[in-house]
Amino acid sequence: MAEMVRKASAFEIFNHWVLAISCLLLALSGYGFLFKLEGITALFGGANAMKDIHNYLGIVFTLSLFLSIFNWLKDALSFDSDDIKWIACAGGYLSKHPKVPPMGKLNTGQKLYYLALLAFGIAIAISGFVIWLMPGQRNYIILSHLVHNISFVVLMIAVPVHIYLATIANPGTFRIMVYGTVPYKWAAKRHPKWIQELSHGK
Amino acid sequence: MGRKALLISPELCIGCRACQVACKSWQQLPADKTKNTGSYENPGDLTPNLYNKIRFVEVPSQENPVRWLFVSQRCMHCDDAGCMKICPAPGALYKTKEGIVAFNKDKCIGCKLCVAGCPFDVPRYDEKGKISKCNLCEDRVAENMIPACAKTCPTGSIKYGDWDEMVASSKKAGYEKLYGQMDLGGLGVLYAFKDTPKLYGLNERPQIPESIVFWHNVLKPLAYIGLGGVVAASALHYLLIGPHKEEEEV
Amino acid sequence: MTNHWIDVKNADVILVMGGNPASNHPISMKWIMKAREKGAKLIVVDPRFTQTAAKADIYAQIRSGTDIAFLGGMIKYIIDNNLYFKEYVINYTDAPFIVKEDFKMPGELDGLYSGYDEKTRKYDKATWSFQMDENGLPKRDNSLKDPRSVFQLLKKHYSRYTIDKVSEVTGTPKEKLLQVYKTYASTGKPNRVGTELYAMGWTQHTVGTQNIRAMSIIQLLLGNIGMAGGGINALRGESNVQGATDYGVLFHILTGYNPTPSASLVDLKSYIEKFTPKTKETRSVNWWSNRPKYITSYLKAIYGSKATEENDYCYSYLPKLDDGMNASWLNLFDNMYKGKFEGFFAWGQNPACSSANANKVRKALAKLKWMVNVNLWENETSTFWKGPEMNPKDIETEVFMLPCSASMEKEGSISNSGRLAQWRYKAVEPYGQSLPDAEIMNELYYRVKRLYQKEGGKFPDPIINLTWDYGEKDKDGKVKHLDIHAVAKEINGYYLEDVYDKKVDPPKLIGKKGELINGFPNLQADGTTSCGNWLYCGSYAHVDGKIVNKMAKRGKDDPTGLGLFPNWAWSWPLNRRVIYNRASVDPKGNPWDPNRAIIKWNPTKINPATNKPGMWEGDIPDGPAPPLADEKAGKLPFIMKPLGVASLFGAGLADGPFPEHYEPLECPLQENPFSKKQRINPTIKLFYSKEGGLQEDIFLSCDVRFPYVCSTYRVTEHWQTGVMTRHTPWLLELQPQLFVEISKELAAEKNIKTGDKVIVSSARGKVWAIANVTDRLKPFKVMNSTIHQVGLPYHYGWKFPVDGSGGDTANLLTPTVGDPNTMIPESKAFMVNIEKA
Ligand code: HEM
Ligand code: SF4
Ligand code: SF4
Repeated sequence: MAEMVRKASAFEIFNHWVLAISCLLLALSGYGFLFKLEGITALFGGANAMKDIHNYLGIVFTLSLFLSIFNWLKDALSFDSDDIKWIACAGGYLSKHPKVPPMGKLNTGQKLYYLALLAFGIAIAISGFVIWLMPGQRNYIILSHLVHNISFVVLMIAVPVHIYLATIANPGTFRIMVYGTVPYKWAAKRHPKWIQELSHGK
Repeated sequence: MGRKALLISPELCIGCRACQVACKSWQQLPADKTKNTGSYENPGDLTPNLYNKIRFVEVPSQENPVRWLFVSQRCMHCDDAGCMKICPAPGALYKTKEGIVAFNKDKCIGCKLCVAGCPFDVPRYDEKGKISKCNLCEDRVAENMIPACAKTCPTGSIKYGDWDEMVASSKKAGYEKLYGQMDLGGLGVLYAFKDTPKLYGLNERPQIPESIVFWHNVLKPLAYIGLGGVVAASALHYLLIGPHKEEEEV
Repeated sequence: MTNHWIDVKNADVILVMGGNPASNHPISMKWIMKAREKGAKLIVVDPRFTQTAAKADIYAQIRSGTDIAFLGGMIKYIIDNNLYFKEYVINYTDAPFIVKEDFKMPGELDGLYSGYDEKTRKYDKATWSFQMDENGLPKRDNSLKDPRSVFQLLKKHYSRYTIDKVSEVTGTPKEKLLQVYKTYASTGKPNRVGTELYAMGWTQHTVGTQNIRAMSIIQLLLGNIGMAGGGINALRGESNVQGATDYGVLFHILTGYNPTPSASLVDLKSYIEKFTPKTKETRSVNWWSNRPKYITSYLKAIYGSKATEENDYCYSYLPKLDDGMNASWLNLFDNMYKGKFEGFFAWGQNPACSSANANKVRKALAKLKWMVNVNLWENETSTFWKGPEMNPKDIETEVFMLPCSASMEKEGSISNSGRLAQWRYKAVEPYGQSLPDAEIMNELYYRVKRLYQKEGGKFPDPIINLTWDYGEKDKDGKVKHLDIHAVAKEINGYYLEDVYDKKVDPPKLIGKKGELINGFPNLQADGTTSCGNWLYCGSYAHVDGKIVNKMAKRGKDDPTGLGLFPNWAWSWPLNRRVIYNRASVDPKGNPWDPNRAIIKWNPTKINPATNKPGMWEGDIPDGPAPPLADEKAGKLPFIMKPLGVASLFGAGLADGPFPEHYEPLECPLQENPFSKKQRINPTIKLFYSKEGGLQEDIFLSCDVRFPYVCSTYRVTEHWQTGVMTRHTPWLLELQPQLFVEISKELAAEKNIKTGDKVIVSSARGKVWAIANVTDRLKPFKVMNSTIHQVGLPYHYGWKFPVDGSGGDTANLLTPTVGDPNTMIPESKAFMVNIEKA
């Protein structure tokens, strides 16, 4: 077996799953609400149960999002000139033999994705709580409803891209969510700056 | 069968509130505990146990000490109903073939979004948080009876019948345009009066909040198109360009 | 009502004065609105801008208790401007009759008519009569010019009611007065009709009867009586109060308005002699000449075979009043207060709240040994002993509660204001142990009778001999379940023998023994018919051999298009829907207004009854006789009047032949602007005066401590003292608490805001109420000073809601004084004060 480096701690793995599952379930139930899909409400045991699940998963999602800050925010905020190059070549995803600039622990796309997730996650969370807990406050509700839904649309574009890229589009990535480790070589290739940092740190 | 309407003529209303009680009686709604607050009007607002309420409005008059207006306040059964638009629960709000915006408490999830979508501030919520509002006696109507309020009103101030017929007969009676005739696709509750709607405490131009319209027309489709687009693009990407493989391993 | 509810739709002008139908008779507004749709004008005259006023074309504000001034001004206006219906007035009223020379009027005697006796506070009415000609008929002047003619006297009397004076007294602006007068007087034309709707706003005054008389005069001058869309229409305060009076539930009448005998009328002969009017007028039907038939048939109904010619048909069994005795409400409770009663049945009533000066009544109840309360609920009367200001320890009255069932829990008939008797069915079983009133009476009757039979007693015969054939009896002779149909049939009456019309030869069979009589013209004075109430004879009858309960009919046909609906239920008399309808046609029998022909003489149609040409079409006419112009058989229209014509000159009343304005017992004025010496109606009974009387009955007029005019009234949501409605949560929700309506001006003076709790007090008591500050009440300008009027409903009581949140009855404020003719208390005009609580 090749040499492995740890990219995510056990806790991080756990939190990622919590975030992902809660988000997906929220999204699924969200679609159920948005289009009044009885097929989906049935999955959750009826619309009433779905509402409760959606609301309480909201708490889970929010907590999880909050904890994710410790995992990713610092990395997501470190930009340099390579990021511009990364964007210029679209992360190399448009070519079969990509040449991508060297990346840190997170690549530019991941960083942007995380920031978007955080921003719209906070937005959808706050607006969601307003809708849930401040009924009757007409103006707040109307605004929150809008924010909730805009965020939803954004997330419904961002999340699937993320899932695609993290799974079949980049074989080997998904194991981070299972083991937390990646082959050293894979990491050196994809996240050379991070590996550098790691070795310096040692 | 075509669309039905309730035609309210405040000029015929005597404020007897028979309709208010008949409504409670048919719908079996409990009484609210109230106090006299210095007016005949009671309760002061629609409540989960009060679907139809007569407003008593005093306005200045030239001729007389005052003008005293009586007008029924309730769900308007909008054709383009904000409450239905925004409601996230399947089957909680629905339209009957008569055009009634009816509700099903079992399916209502108590999210209370509908009142935000309603241009008339109508829906109220019972102790379980479920929607409560006029349903035009949907059950009576289904049995070819008229709503309890219309049945009870002694003066014909509340009439029930075909929407077109109500508009036509009012026109004959000299009401060129009814309140609600043009709004929100035409309200299911029309008002015949010659004064300004404001006098009767009615919204001059009732509208569903713009953000809700925007959401309905733009965001909702986007939520589908966005997700669909992303999935399709991913699939395309996978097929045309393929996964990002490590060259060494090839 | 002379007419009926639906008939209001036929009017051109509707005057609502002394009533508030939108609140208290909401269904009537259906017909008012129908009339308005066709262009009719609605005039509302009321101290308050009411829910009815909100729908009016003309609203005039009037100070409580000044209706006669207002209407007197209208009479003057009609006469001065020649707007009366001359042909009608000359032919159908007493306007041309010549009055005795020594008859004097208030204008001449400073507020009094001739014949007043200060000591008894009564009139000797000898001068209040007509000069007679050699045929025993009143002298007349058809030109109406004779200064002693009723018409000229009327004109003279009301010449004092100038527009300025009326405006000063009533507080109604002159322009408003003129607007009302002009609009209403427009119905003096044959093709225009006006109707008047009144209720307690007219009756509950010390001049109550005269308020209605004043309007009757107007209606007669304008030719509006007998017409479709016309008449004088009392909106009765209870669904069946018409029935209550028809059935004699009053001290002074038996059923069918037969007077209660007095002690000096020792036998049936003297009774008949006294109460059967005679007339020399051959064209008069003089309907009361039938009195002997009605009273005899009544006695036969209640004493059956026990009533024979030999024993005067048991006339001696009837309870008698002492001569001159008035046993009406106020006197009754006055006597109770003075300890003159041992026991009291409060049956379906709540005097502790409903009675004027309720404090006195509450104290009077404490003087009783026992009281039986027959009611749906425990009310303020049955629990008076634990009420406010009561010390249960000091009260010895033993109270029994008999729960009775509500109208929905039993079958029977009710008679509405339009005299329409409608049969109603039981909707639900009686609640708990409650019983229908009739079943309670059945029990009571049986037990009292048994006691008499076992123990004897002073005068058992009237009880023991009563007929009581109301269903199957058990072995003790007690009716097991009272069959209400048997009662209805007894009321209708039976042929007790085969009855023949002996005027024709050979005598023609009218009815077979045992059959139900089909109409009071067939009643007999010789004991061969029975009838519990002649007015209802024909309501439950044999028709072509079959028994028909006509009150249960539900036909929806309306052949005249005037809303008579002759096959819907049954209306007395004889299913006539508009009484005095013969006044709606000219002497030849042609309708004054062909577009509103309530009846019409068809001279060619063969009358099946007589087999001769000529018969009436439309409503049931007031008697089948041909029209007045028929020289041999023609009859005058006002069939209840001995002279066949309507009375502008009302000599029958206690307080004068023409209505005169007097101030209410409590009023804001020092003097009556019309007559300095007589501030108040000189014939009212004073329970309290400078000379003495009970402190409880105190009144304070023109007293700075009680400066505001007050009226009590009702709201839609509650009924009477509110016992039924306060217990109905849906209704309590709408009107939960006693409130008092006051003007913004007064509120500002008193620093009261809407919704504030205030104390309303009178010389007799006080209540708290929630202030409703509104523009619907406005201060008046009366005799150059500003007068405030307030008003409050009387539906509340301390007993329920149990937390006391409703308040108490407004009758704690009202005075002990009544109309001299009816003794109806003056709850519509008295003086109060208001202070922030
Ligand atoms: C984070 C905390 C969240 C809370 C407290 C929350 C709360 C709510 C509430 C109260 C509603 C209204 C219906 C209902 O009562 O169930 C709602 C609707 C919805 N939520 Fe959430 N939500 C949260 C997160 C999310 C997320 C992460 C998504 C999707 C990614 C989402 C998607 C939706 C959608 C699509 C709707 C339906 C919108 C509509 O029909 O108006 N929500 N949410
Ligand atoms: S009035 Fe309000 S509750 Fe009624 S249908 Fe319209 S939007 Fe819905
Ligand atoms: S029943 Fe008719 S008249 Fe009475 S309050 Fe209702 S709408 Fe008005």
